[in-house]
Amino acid sequence: MTPQLVIPYTDADWRAVLPLLAVGASALLVLLADLVMPRKTRRGSAIVLGIAGLSLGGVLALRGWHHPVSAFGGAFVNGGFAIVFQEIVVVAAIFSLLMAYGLGREDQTGGGIALMLWSATGAMLMAGAANLLTIFLGLELLSLALYCLCGLASRPGARESALKYLILSSTATAFMLYGMALLFGATGSVSLAALSGPVASQALFTIGCGMFLIGLCFKLSLVPFHVWTPDVYEGAPLPVTAFMSVVTKAGTLAVLARFAYAALPNAQTHALLAPLWIVAAISMVVGNVAALAQNDIKRLLAYSGIAQLGYIVAALAGTTSLGLRYAIFYLGAYTFMNLGAFAVVALLSRDRDEGSHLSSFAGLGYRQPILAGAMTFFLLSLAGLPPTVGFTGKILILASTVDAGYAWLAGLLIIGTAISAYAYFKIVRAMYARTTGVAIVRAFHPASMLPWIGVTICAVATLVLGFYPFAPSDVLPLVR
Amino acid sequence: MIVALLIVAPILIGLLLFFVPRSAEAAARSIAALVGFGACALAAFNYGVADESLVWLQRPFTATFHVGLNGPGFWLVLLLTLATGCASMAANVPRGRDFAAQMLVLQGAMTGVFVARDLMLFALFWDLMLLPVFMTLVAWAPPRVRAPGAPGRPPSTVQSPTAWRYLIYNLVGGLALLLATAAYGIVQGTTDVIGRDPNTLAPFSPVWAMWIFAGFAFAFLIKTPVWPLHTWMPDTYADLPAPMAAVVSAVQSKAGLYGFIVVGLPLLPRAMHTAAPLMIALGLIGLVYGAFSALVQDDTKRVVAYSSLSHLGLILIAIFSFDPLAIGGAVVYLVAHGLFSAGLFMTIGEVEAREETRLLSRLGGLGARNPRLAGGLTIVTLAALGLPGLCGFAGEILILTGLYHAGLVWETVVALVPIVIAAAYMLRVFQGIMQGPEVEDVPQREDMSPLEMLALAPLVVAIVLLGVTPGIVARSFASSPAAVAHDAPRGVLAQTRLK
Repeated sequence: MTPQLVIPYTDADWRAVLPLLAVGASALLVLLADLVMPRKTRRGSAIVLGIAGLSLGGVLALRGWHHPVSAFGGAFVNGGFAIVFQEIVVVAAIFSLLMAYGLGREDQTGGGIALMLWSATGAMLMAGAANLLTIFLGLELLSLALYCLCGLASRPGARESALKYLILSSTATAFMLYGMALLFGATGSVSLAALSGPVASQALFTIGCGMFLIGLCFKLSLVPFHVWTPDVYEGAPLPVTAFMSVVTKAGTLAVLARFAYAALPNAQTHALLAPLWIVAAISMVVGNVAALAQNDIKRLLAYSGIAQLGYIVAALAGTTSLGLRYAIFYLGAYTFMNLGAFAVVALLSRDRDEGSHLSSFAGLGYRQPILAGAMTFFLLSLAGLPPTVGFTGKILILASTVDAGYAWLAGLLIIGTAISAYAYFKIVRAMYARTTGVAIVRAFHPASMLPWIGVTICAVATLVLGFYPFAPSDVLPLVR
Repeated sequence: MIVALLIVAPILIGLLLFFVPRSAEAAARSIAALVGFGACALAAFNYGVADESLVWLQRPFTATFHVGLNGPGFWLVLLLTLATGCASMAANVPRGRDFAAQMLVLQGAMTGVFVARDLMLFALFWDLMLLPVFMTLVAWAPPRVRAPGAPGRPPSTVQSPTAWRYLIYNLVGGLALLLATAAYGIVQGTTDVIGRDPNTLAPFSPVWAMWIFAGFAFAFLIKTPVWPLHTWMPDTYADLPAPMAAVVSAVQSKAGLYGFIVVGLPLLPRAMHTAAPLMIALGLIGLVYGAFSALVQDDTKRVVAYSSLSHLGLILIAIFSFDPLAIGGAVVYLVAHGLFSAGLFMTIGEVEAREETRLLSRLGGLGARNPRLAGGLTIVTLAALGLPGLCGFAGEILILTGLYHAGLVWETVVALVPIVIAAAYMLRVFQGIMQGPEVEDVPQREDMSPLEMLALAPLVVAIVLLGVTPGIVARSFASSPAAVAHDAPRGVLAQTRLK
């Protein structure tokens, strides 16, 4: 009797990853279209195909909302939790694509967009990853595409930024992989569920957890693992920066949340997470203090992102169910307000100049009142002022940290927010002050009007979510 | 719908004003004035209208969009809308369309503070009302002269730092308020508590109460402002265009004291009692310090700013005396101070528009050629120094009687001194501007136009009306839940009823 080749995967398994396959396959279509479409329509068709693929992926993912499945022998879990993160990734990727008209040279745009789609696929995989190998697979898919994307800009610092990201990120990945190996050694399984079981060696387990968390902190760019962020954000092309600022964070946060909530269920193991809250606290303060000195909006948003991720991780402190809900809610809020701000910068950018320096905002309130109003609104939200989702989100995070017994984190969050106000309002002041600088008038560029869609949607979402805070209720049971 | 309309309509109309042509300044001004007076009339005829409420959050605590128009908040809304209407009507500010829009947004946001019946909504509007003032400071504050220019060349200037000072101070306060609100929501389970009978609320630990009170008090003290957190205030009032300075000093500065009355007294009475000695001490220091500072300022706007520090210190003491009479007087004085300080800033603004300066050392003898302006300034100055029959006196006498009644004898005596000094600095302002030898180097302009008189008239009428019938305002506190809750533990005082 000859041994038969057994394919252990059923249709149900493939159905669970259908959204990912849709997004990944659309990247192939983008590449194909890049070959066959006439030169003039290449960029447009790449963006349209990419958005179509992402939308299809988003819709397909939603279908699984009430039918949580565990696919590939528990390697990939698709349920409410994963779907929320996948939707955030999809939305963020769509907004980034809207800004991507000027990505790279004309012959690079299609490839760049395909890479963004694959990167998004990696993040979506991380959202549902339930064992260490899937996590690593998603992370590498996400990161490898980003290394190439970072180098796409024509500005001189782009290569340096890409190389810096490659080297530092690979180091962090090595940490994480080593941590995973140690965790495997301690538990004898790559499954996250097994981490809560008996361990062979407590020391191995502790060191493994620590290294794993260090890798995650690097990807989340939490202080002190943040030094790469401003340089990479500044050097990368604007759509890629916007993409990284949300998609990487969403994917990694999903892993972190699943790890913190599902893998470490008892008080003893929770102690392992304590350094994470301290890292979050430092990030909130350091990120905002560093943002004060920035005159480049991309660098400013990089530091602000460090602080905002600090707020989100702080919400997880104590790993309460409320905390997870509000962390996810704030991540969604951050998606809209942050990408809205990036879309405004994209609208200010012209051929060779990305419009990200503070001086391109001088007098904007009088040149382009609506755009300036929108930017003000996003900055208000980032600063946590009403009437925006940033205000509501922040009060929810404050409430959940106080509720979880981490009032000191709430206090630091307030201090960090107070500091951040200066950084954000510096831009507002530049836009509305009478005496700063000379208005820079540039040629009108009709092709770059797409980000207006992003600005509009983000502004509406930032306003509406503030008054109807929608925190998906059936997220939590599916984590454990 | 009516109360919500009072908030939303001015904000929306203000934002829509940005879409009318820049040149339509007069139209924008008229719209702002109409919205102000219209809101005033709408509010006046809807006292005690049914509360309006919508769910905002259900977890982690209940929060609602709950607004109501009654109690002390009602009178402050009337004051706010009246002051905004008057100030907008005669506003003589460059880029008048944008300015009118900022005034309307400010009106809507501040109305929200006084009608919010939910702490989280209160915090929302508390932070929101920062923005129009910050934006106005950014776009209108005159640049600071860094070095005088050589002959024939303009002096080198830098942007005024006032906007930052205002923003940072008030934002820090606002964030403390936010944290306190979140903590209150967690320990109480709901933030829908303003104006509710406090006896229906579950008690919680005094330690929490103390921390929560500290957060609220910090925000309230900055906003009022109370010594030593006042250093943002003189600059802000001096750099704001006069119409907005009128509204901010008349109404925004009342938000903190209003907060002590409607949030502190009913919800955190124990913590209020614990903090009373500190608060009374701060109030007394501010009272004396403000009065003496006002005496020596050259800039008339700063005289009024420091006099505010002094007057608001008196109100703070009144609130922390826990005497119903004094607190009733405090509510009267809140409104009274709003009326005369709005009047003062408006008249000073008109003086500045005529003479291009507001420094006492460069002004003088204006009264001879501007009798109407002199008349207007006379009335508001007399109200400010507490002439019987005008609103200032009504508030002061109620407060002082209440303080004495509460057994705070020494405090009453100390509080009397600055009230005497008030006469000195207010008359100094009046004499410095209107009397004495005419200063020749300033250009002569026309007296107040009918429009400007019409803008000041409602304030003057209100000053007299409140001066002769303060009881109606004072009773708005005595009948509110705060008074009930507070009286409960101290039965003696409960017998004191305002006649």
